[in-house]
Amino acid sequence: MLIGLTIFAVAWLIARPAITVPRGGKQLTFVILFLLPILTASMGAGEQMRRSEQTQFCLSCHHMEPYGKSLLVDDATYLPAAHYQNGRIPRDQACYTCHTDYVMYGTAITKIRGLRHVYIQYFGNTSPPLHLYSPYSNRECLHCHAGSRSFEEGIVHSADPSIMAAIKANETSCMSSGCHQTVHDVATLPQQKFWEPPQ
Amino acid sequence: MNAAAPHLYRKLRLAGGLTIAGLLVEFFSLLRIHPLAFLTFMFVGGAFLVAGIALYLYSIIATPAPHDNHPS
Repeated sequence: MLIGLTIFAVAWLIARPAITVPRGGKQLTFVILFLLPILTASMGAGEQMRRSEQTQFCLSCHHMEPYGKSLLVDDATYLPAAHYQNGRIPRDQACYTCHTDYVMYGTAITKIRGLRHVYIQYFGNTSPPLHLYSPYSNRECLHCHAGSRSFEEGIVHSADPSIMAAIKANETSCMSSGCHQTVHDVATLPQQKFWEPPQ
Repeated sequence: MNAAAPHLYRKLRLAGGLTIAGLLVEFFSLLRIHPLAFLTFMFVGGAFLVAGIALYLYSIIATPAPHDNHPS
């Protein structure tokens, strides 16, 4: 609606440029040709940023389809599937919740990576399995799990104080072999059964 | 009318046209949730808007004030 209003105001100014002559007209022109477009673009950019965090946004790229499908695997050992299906992450922001960096400027860093993803989607030559730019940091898991009872009092996590210390220091990955090592695992998707979310 | 006015009007019209083009691009890019829509909004729509705003600002500083044409 604001876009429509701004377009209308600018079009009106183009049709009647003589209104820019008096002092009040100059001020109005400043509002119409400077402040309103900036306000409109800022609000639109905010909306685009919000949309870019949606699962639908990430899965609209062909390369990401199997990763989206892996969220529906009917196997609780699949880490993303267990999170998605049990509502441990918001379903409409499933990718972003786990694949953003929970650091200062993490969102900006993620967006810059996203630009590279788009370049690869259209000009690159790649196929699954895709690889992360850097090993997955426990920081992203601990953003939610640190302090939660099931994590802090988990039998394996609390079996030895050194294990917990190593997890929190990112020295032992949460996805280490024998722990939560089954992540998207798209290569095994053809052999899997899939959960159908209730409509 | 100030002699510079037609020149100023032309620049303002062009600035307005660029701004409308940018806003239309941004409007249509908001209709879809897709990475290309995001890029179109940020870079195509944004470029038109920045060009329009820059041209408007240039036009108001580059156009001489009316009293400049009538030195005392």
